Amino acid sequence: MKEYAHPEVLVNTDWAAAHVDDPKVRIIESDEDVLLYDVGHIEGAVKVDWQTDLQDQLIRDYVNRDKFEKLMSEKGISNDTTAVFYGDRNNWWACYAFWVFKLFGHEKCLIINGGRQKWVEEGRPLTKEVKEYPKTDYQVSGTDESIRAFRDDVTVHMGSGKPLIDVRSPKEYSGELLHMEAYPQEGALRGGHIPGAANVPWATAANENGTFKSADELRSIYMESKGLKTDDEVIAYCRIGERSSHTWFVLTYLLGFERTRNYDGSWTEWGNLVRVPIERP
Amino acid sequence: MSRIKDIIEAFQEADYQETLAMLLDYSEVLPEIPDEYVEARNAGYNRVTECETPVFIWVDVKEGKVKIYADAPAESPTVRGFVSLLVDAFDGATPKEIEDAPSYLINSLGLDRKLGTRRMFGLSAVYNRIKNDVKHATQMS
Repeated sequence: MKEYAHPEVLVNTDWAAAHVDDPKVRIIESDEDVLLYDVGHIEGAVKVDWQTDLQDQLIRDYVNRDKFEKLMSEKGISNDTTAVFYGDRNNWWACYAFWVFKLFGHEKCLIINGGRQKWVEEGRPLTKEVKEYPKTDYQVSGTDESIRAFRDDVTVHMGSGKPLIDVRSPKEYSGELLHMEAYPQEGALRGGHIPGAANVPWATAANENGTFKSADELRSIYMESKGLKTDDEVIAYCRIGERSSHTWFVLTYLLGFERTRNYDGSWTEWGNLVRVPIERP
Repeated sequence: MSRIKDIIEAFQEADYQETLAMLLDYSEVLPEIPDEYVEARNAGYNRVTECETPVFIWVDVKEGKVKIYADAPAESPTVRGFVSLLVDAFDGATPKEIEDAPSYLINSLGLDRKLGTRRMFGLSAVYNRIKNDVKHATQMS
């Protein structure tokens, strides 16, 4: 992991196993499957659900500051706690939760490389016991909107020819699919991609065992093949902004891109907007 | 009252944590598929392709009763729990009961509100597969 730009944000499963009782550390499981944590999780880990905990249920946005502070307090997380994320599907949702924590300005965030899959494949123990922690007085000190792109930002970005990475599947990118099969409620009225966007499906960055690919392999994928440079301003998007948070993590922390943003409105916003330009190959 | 109505009532009364607990319980009691189906499953037959999670369903109608076998991975407990709920609700039911079951079962159970709509698409596909298969089997016989 040493060759990554910011290797300090990744820990391995050994490290996680050695820190399950560390009071300065809170291990957080974030999965696509809302029940997976309940089936068994790393000792002492708490669950943060990407949808019911982090997203507002009425307005399409993240929870407000008060709700985030309440969530942190309930999970026993203080401002100086090191939040260590892991989850299913190549840490897809762990990266999403990591990104949302960063939006709220949480300073110390780490990812367990390989996530739940690697932990389980190594035969490490899982428990159903849900540990309770004393409530904290968490205060959001300031949000960091510099990692989030809104549609107007994307319009300006596109207009000035800056790089966009579309991390959806090739069929979604080409416009052949308007939505993932049988996912009509997550669809868009138009298929295609934001003009100028390059297609790099998000999971390209992961190995089969769920860990991130090596720095050399990642450089080859994003920099040599797609011509991105670490001082480029890049916006990543997918369908609802979750897969692209994985790519945002890879570009920002593993390759050292300084100005990468995640467009969480993504295709379910862009593909439904009136009069925005769309490209099909 | 049909089994599905009882289940819908129980879910409508449940809060978020109770809903998760009920689905988790369901995920633990899904009956194994018979040995003769294991090979077909491993070869990818009878998969509900619209669902991202590998879900396999066999539906048959014999002597006026519906027989359902289903399989879903333990690593996807929400999907497995829902599949198990469907087996509980519809295995042994009459085709008419399945035809009369709500078109939007996920909404009737309140799962969309409690778990978030984005999780529910694959589940709808599994449910529709059962409804369609039963309809098809009834028309054939």
